[in-house]
Amino acid sequence: MQPPGGMPQKLSLPGVKNLIAVASGKGGVGKSTVAANLALALQKQGGRVGLMDADIYGPSVPIMMGLQGVDPQTTAFPMEKYGLRLMSMGFIVKQEQAVIWRGPMVHRAITQFLTDLDWGQLDYLVIDLPPGTGDAQLTLTQTAPLTGAVIVTTPQDVSLIDARKGLEMFRQVRVPVLGIVENMSYFIGDDGKRYEIFRHGGGKKLAAEAGVPFLGEIPIDPRVAESGDTGEPIVRKYPDSAVAKAYLALAATVSDGLAKAGKGPELPTLQL
Amino acid sequence: MSAPGPGPLSPVALGKDGDDRLVIEWNDGHRAVYPWVYLRQQCPCAGCREERQQPPDPFRVLKPSELAPLRPLKMEPVGRYAYKITWSDGHDSGIYTLEHLRALCQCPQCTRR
Repeated sequence: MQPPGGMPQKLSLPGVKNLIAVASGKGGVGKSTVAANLALALQKQGGRVGLMDADIYGPSVPIMMGLQGVDPQTTAFPMEKYGLRLMSMGFIVKQEQAVIWRGPMVHRAITQFLTDLDWGQLDYLVIDLPPGTGDAQLTLTQTAPLTGAVIVTTPQDVSLIDARKGLEMFRQVRVPVLGIVENMSYFIGDDGKRYEIFRHGGGKKLAAEAGVPFLGEIPIDPRVAESGDTGEPIVRKYPDSAVAKAYLALAATVSDGLAKAGKGPELPTLQL
Repeated sequence: MSAPGPGPLSPVALGKDGDDRLVIEWNDGHRAVYPWVYLRQQCPCAGCREERQQPPDPFRVLKPSELAPLRPLKMEPVGRYAYKITWSDGHDSGIYTLEHLRALCQCPQCTRR
């Protein structure tokens, strides 16, 4: 089925070189944190980067980027902060207001974010997806020329089981999976010891099982939450931290993976 | 990349065989043929699927748009995994995945199986 009003034309976004979806099956694995920090890490490599928050129901970009209380009547979108071009449903609705929409409205909002905004010339547009395999994911895979997807998981089975569903979704819609990143992998205590709070090795095992690259482990650090809540992601606020370094390594792996993957062949068309 | 080795089945070229048939050349060398009428009968949209599962409605009245001969107006890619066909009666909600299209091939070789 498709939303009322028909499916939009496939978008081409000629100014955007790479469209990267950051996805997970399960919520709460740190997808938005990974998306925001990955975007900043890609920018640190010298790329021109945008971050689109496709989580219509639970947008995180405004708080993570310190852009709350934006007046949509007087603001031009996408917004700019820390050199990133940013768009989020959170810029349009008030923070305390809930977005209670059925799928077709989600579809329309995401399509508008991609079509009506001038994203300009970007090397990477990182798209922070909501959890699951629903409307937002389908809209993006049907209308946007996604270059690849990064799957975020945490090490424990309850997260991995849903990450598998995310992988399967991208396989079915033929979007290349750039790899799996394991978030909240371990914690280094004051004693210097490594504590694997959510178990060990799940992300790596899943990547091997699915035949996709394992993109790395990102440790737990209380400063991740602190910097996200205060509007300056850790890659920017604590660039020397182990977490920031893990994100820089992730960005390098992702950009290498994109370069190798290329845009992939487009489907042939037929004139009738 | 996720799929090392030969890629999944994918069309290389789409063409017409007269007014009645669609031809798809696949990357494994297969030349698939599809009568347009058959493709419409196999429309994978939820509405058509449900209609196919129901017993025929004895009181069904044809709409004016159904009286004119049916023909495809457009066949467009959907992402990287499917095609959408817009028909002359306005129907366009069927999304034919590549796997489904391949399975629908009506060439003598495929229909023999």
